[in-house]
Order: sequence, then structure tokens, then C-alpha cells
Amino acid sequence: MDGRELNALVQDDRMHRRAFLDPAVFDAEMERVFGRLWIYVGHDSQVARPGDFLTTAIARQPVVLCRHRDGSVRVLFNRCGHRGALVVAEESGNAERFRCGYHGWTYHTDGTLAGLPLSDGYGPQVDLADPALGMLPVPQVATYKGFVFASLAPTSPSLEDFLGGVKTSIDEIVDRAPDGAVEIKGGCHRYVVHANWKFQIENLCDMYHPAFSHESTLRADGRQFERREGDAGAPVRGNDGRSLSFWDQTGMTAYTQGHSVQGPMPRAGEPDTEVYRRYRAALARRHGAANVDRVLTLTRHNTMIFPSVAIQSLNLHVRTITPVAVDKTEIRVYPLHLRGAPEEMSRELIRYLNLTHAAASFIQTDDVEMFERQQQGLRTQANDWVRYARGLGQERPDNEGGYRGAGTNELGMRAQHRAWLECMTAA
Amino acid sequence: MTTIADVERFIVREVRLLDERRFEDWMALFDDDGYYWAPAALDQKDPHDHVSLFFDDKKIMATRIERLRHPRIHIQTPPSRTVHLVGNVEIEEVDAERGECLAGCAFIMLEYRPGHDQRTFGGRYQYRLRRRGESFAIAWKRANLINCDGTFPALAVPF
Repeated sequence: MDGRELNALVQDDRMHRRAFLDPAVFDAEMERVFGRLWIYVGHDSQVARPGDFLTTAIARQPVVLCRHRDGSVRVLFNRCGHRGALVVAEESGNAERFRCGYHGWTYHTDGTLAGLPLSDGYGPQVDLADPALGMLPVPQVATYKGFVFASLAPTSPSLEDFLGGVKTSIDEIVDRAPDGAVEIKGGCHRYVVHANWKFQIENLCDMYHPAFSHESTLRADGRQFERREGDAGAPVRGNDGRSLSFWDQTGMTAYTQGHSVQGPMPRAGEPDTEVYRRYRAALARRHGAANVDRVLTLTRHNTMIFPSVAIQSLNLHVRTITPVAVDKTEIRVYPLHLRGAPEEMSRELIRYLNLTHAAASFIQTDDVEMFERQQQGLRTQANDWVRYARGLGQERPDNEGGYRGAGTNELGMRAQHRAWLECMTAA
Repeated sequence: MTTIADVERFIVREVRLLDERRFEDWMALFDDDGYYWAPAALDQKDPHDHVSLFFDDKKIMATRIERLRHPRIHIQTPPSRTVHLVGNVEIEEVDAERGECLAGCAFIMLEYRPGHDQRTFGGRYQYRLRRRGESFAIAWKRANLINCDGTFPALAVPF
């Protein structure tokens, strides 16, 4: 697809339906968006010990995230250097070496060839030390406070420059861990959406939808079911069961990299429980008692790091968005634990995350239904454009390199589309 | 004396209540401290240290059912039709003193929503049942799907 064709798919306030329907656009996205940007591959706590590994994909290409014996985190293409078979078929585990099942070639956890059977069958014209016979490393890997990203492009801005203003989201979460680190444990929710991946990432900066998409979760007073122990249930519609004005007050920030940050959800402080008092005491030891309230004040809800991952600050979790086909996307939701916080908090988080993010949850199911209806609705030829005009022109630059608008402003989606077009049309 | 026939009769009725979308009657089969659990890991030991597909105590069950009755539950517009088939019923353990037994069976659930492909789920149920006169109260029901750790489409009704 050439630049002119691609430029015709995005305008300031709209995206062409073809961007969600056309397999050729999807192929180009895999090459130019997921194939060039920093893509989240996992958290270093998932590969804590040397030899720990997990398998995932970047731009549909199978990769292995693993911990090498020197302690470094590696991301390798999951492909045998011999005849191309997938080497690691398990989802996760621990291995001293990776062994291809086809002809028994083995690889160190840095991808170099460790050995092959009957090696004397290769004559002098074959260089078995050729790195191309190994499991090749993904061109770039970088970690920010435990969050591992990789890039299939050999040159790209540093991970920190790529993250820019959304580093703060990670910083604030890590600060809430009494031991100064977060970890992933307790498995993940997995669901498949028969719709384009962009519908999911748009929804992560959409405060216009909750009162309607999630209407079935609201009580007559406009409040939702409780999401935490002792919580009264978040107000989704006002006390009168109707007004929605507070959604705008939450605010939304977008960045030129395509990232976005939702302001914090309205809620009534932290519970006064024994567990929570222990947690505050642990935080006071780390940050000083005078700073605990500041550390615990949420400044954000969902942070969408374009194009592959979202992190929620309230009910802590990481959500990965993995495009499978133009109309198929796999989502995983991993609970995120604060190291050094009371174990009871992790148990409560896991329990409540079932309600919001399981395949059978009260929340995601209605979102999934809407994404799938979008995929169907856009087949109509009557109207080529999907609209994102809400709040257009009302955003204002903040002092951290972002643009801020009202909570229901669609500026986050517009930022995604600009970043998308920039990737798609870059040389 | 609890017989396999007693247990089977109870389970057949229990899943029929789901098929008939009599969710409130289904919930009433659970004891006050009862729960329904569909783990998301094989042999999951604890619903609090790993995520689950469903883990509903009666309070959450009530919220779920209230939502299933909501006119604007998009994922059930149109609603699912299901049929459950249970078989291979076994009584695994009897605690005569407490009037409880541990029972298990295989299940298959077909689910259809107009406009969508028909779906198939299957696995084993386990129940902790408490004698209540001629019938039972459910202390817990666990649905162990063979693909519990797989990737699921959106789910709305219990297995």
C-alpha cells in the first residue's frame, strides 16, 4: 500500500472503515506498526530465574522471552536455525537449553547454537559457527522498571523516549510497592475478540462509553457493583441515575507517540482495614510517613501504551493486545502485584479482577460484544467513516509533552490514529 | 444413605434450571456460604492465588443474575440458549456424620446465540453436596473445563 492510499484512511476526526476491514491494511500494520514500534513482551518477574521462558508473538512472529544464565533478559525468534520449525512449543517453563523437536538441534538461552546431532556430517564448506544457524535475537530489547519491550526494527528511538509521558504511570505503580518493584503472578485472563485490534485500544481511552456499554452493571442509583472490598460501587451515572458530567472531570491526556492516559475514576478513598493499615506502614518505611498519602493518590486509571499494552492503576493489571488477523484479536489480562504489600491485597485483587476482566466478567463481555458489532456494522458501504470528533479542537498542551482534554474527549483515539498513520507512511 | 441415583437426579435438575434460564432458582440450590467456581488453571487449588473464569459466592452470583436480567446486557442480546448433558456420575466421598458428599460427573454444554456460531464446552463437574431432607444444598460446584487455561470468547452464562 502506498502513502497516498494510506493517507486517505485518516483525517483529523475520522478513520476509514477500510483500516478495520482490509487484510492488506492489517498486513501493512504488522510490518510497519507492530514491526517497528516497541512492543511489550512481558514482565521480567515472569522469567525470574535463569532458564525461565515464556512464548509470545510480535507482529504475528513467534518469539521467546527468556532469562539467560548471565541474568539478562533475552527475546529470541522462536524458529530453528536449521529447517525453521518452532523450537519452543510450551507456553512457559524453565530450560537449560532449547531443543528443536525435529532434528534435535539445541540452543543456549541467548539463542546461540549449543549443538546438533551427527555434526560430523557437515563438511568444511558449512560454518556451524554462523550466527544465522542460531535462534536469532530480536533486534532490540529494553526494560523499563521490569516491563520488557522489544522492537523488530534495528533502529528506533530509545524505549524511554518512546514511553515519554507514560513512564509516570509505571513510576507511580512501582512507587506503590513497598519493596519498590511489581511482579506478575496468578495467571492471566484470556479472551478472543472477533474484531480488529484497534477497537480494543480505542476503548482504553474512551470514558464516553461506560454508562451505555456497561449499563447492565448499574444499579438504579447509577452505581456499579463493588470492585474492591468495602467499596460502595463506583458511580457511573450521577446520584440521579442520569447525569454523566463527572466523566468529563476525570480528564484524558494523549501523547504524540499514540499513548493515552485516563484520569482517575471517582471513588471514595482507601478502606480503613487492618490489611490496609499494614500496607500503609510498609509504604511509610519506604517513602516516609509524610509521603504515603501522595504515593497512594491515583492520578490515572488506564494507561494505553500504543499499540500493544495497557496498564490499569486502580485494580492493578497489565493488558496485552495481540492482533491475530484483521478481524481477530487476543487479549490477556495479568494481575500485577505490589512487592512487599500484604498478600491479602493480591488475593483481593485476583478476586475482583475476575468480575471485571475474566472472559465471563461483568465488564469485558459487553465491550467484546460492541467491538464485534463494530466489525459487523462497518461492512455497510453507505458510510466509509468512523468518527472521533468528540472534543476536537478543545485539547490543550500540558506541561509534560501531552495534550489534555475532558474525560469523554476522543483525543486519545485521534492520537492513536496520527501515530498509526505516521508509522504506516514512514519511509 | 445417598445413592448415585439421588445425586444424578439433583444434578440433572440443577443444569436444567440453567438451560431454562431459571437463574434465581439455580442460585437457591446453593447454601448460604456456597459458591460456584470455574477455574482458569488445571488442578487449581485456590481461587485467590490465580485468576478464574467464574468464582461467585452468593453475593456475586446475585449481581451476575441481576445483570443477566438487565434489558441492556449486550452480550445476551439476543440471549444464549444452552443444553447441558451430564453423565458418568460418581460419588467420590461420603461424610455421613456431616451429611455431606463429594460427587463428580462429566458434562457437555452446547451454547447458541442467534447470529453466532454454536459453541461447545466440556469437562468435569465436582460438587460438595449437603443433605437437605430428600434433596441437597450445594456447598460448592466446580466446573473443570478441559480447556480452562485456553482463550475464551465472551462468556455470560454459567457452565
